[in-house]
Amino acid sequence: MSCANYWRAALQERKGNWHMEMESGARPPRVSIVYCAACGYEPQTIELASALMHTFTYDLGAIELIPWQDGAFDVAIDGELVHSMYRDGGFPAHDTIIQAVRQRLVR
Amino acid sequence: MIITRERFNQGMTYDDYKAQMSRNRDRLEENERTLELAPEDVRFFAELAEPLHVLVITEDWCGDAIANLPILGRLAAVSGRLDIRIFLRDQNPDLMDQYLNQGVHRSIPVFAFFDTHFQPIGHWIERPALISEMQGKMLADLYRTDPAFAGIAPGTSLAVMPEAARGRLMQAFAAFRAETRSIADREVIRELRELLARSLAGEER
Repeated sequence: MSCANYWRAALQERKGNWHMEMESGARPPRVSIVYCAACGYEPQTIELASALMHTFTYDLGAIELIPWQDGAFDVAIDGELVHSMYRDGGFPAHDTIIQAVRQRLVR
Repeated sequence: MIITRERFNQGMTYDDYKAQMSRNRDRLEENERTLELAPEDVRFFAELAEPLHVLVITEDWCGDAIANLPILGRLAAVSGRLDIRIFLRDQNPDLMDQYLNQGVHRSIPVFAFFDTHFQPIGHWIERPALISEMQGKMLADLYRTDPAFAGIAPGTSLAVMPEAARGRLMQAFAAFRAETRSIADREVIRELRELLARSLAGEER
């Protein structure tokens, strides 16, 4: 399959999924990442966003990057906080976030 | 806090630091250029009994450092009594870990003052206490009075905050930074003067 055809087929499949999701009322998960822009957390933010993009390709509704301050690094999926640097300490393992997204995809 | 002359001299001068900045140099230089120094503040630093060494720990991505390092830079330039050497936080954990904020946080900038024999005089971290206090009050008022925050607990992560409240919070912080700039500058200088006056008088040695 040529590259163009591959992507066309993938898009068709994605459109099909969207159609089913719209019919069933399900929406693809939306991931929000709040990062402290005053703390130099851009690399960790981009690495996590990249891991999500490569893992889920078309299956995410959005990846939202929100610059903030005060040492924040928080991740929410559909409005539910799944990691908070204040609450949980440190940066989240990518696998933890990926697993949390997967759980929402199978709901 | 043991810093040897050899270790101190491994740091960058203020000009060398600015030359290697990969971001925010324009903001730092604008803050330096527009800083208003009172004559009595200039006199205080110019009349220090002996020149002081100032070890600075910073990074060019840090907002507090972009705001406050230029104040130290200007004071050094106009007084001729402060010998600044700058170290990057993330490349110098041995230094950073000697100046943890509340014993835990790697907050920057750090300004650590030493006498001519490298005896520690005192150090200053991050931002003035008054600004942290004003910021806390601003937030409390915002949550109490702005309808966008109805039903939202203070401290709620932006990641789960409704769009309207998130936007208001970002606007409020931007306005706070702009409105408190001159107060913050004055407070940095006042706190540095207080630190040096107290320590040089023998209270904290």
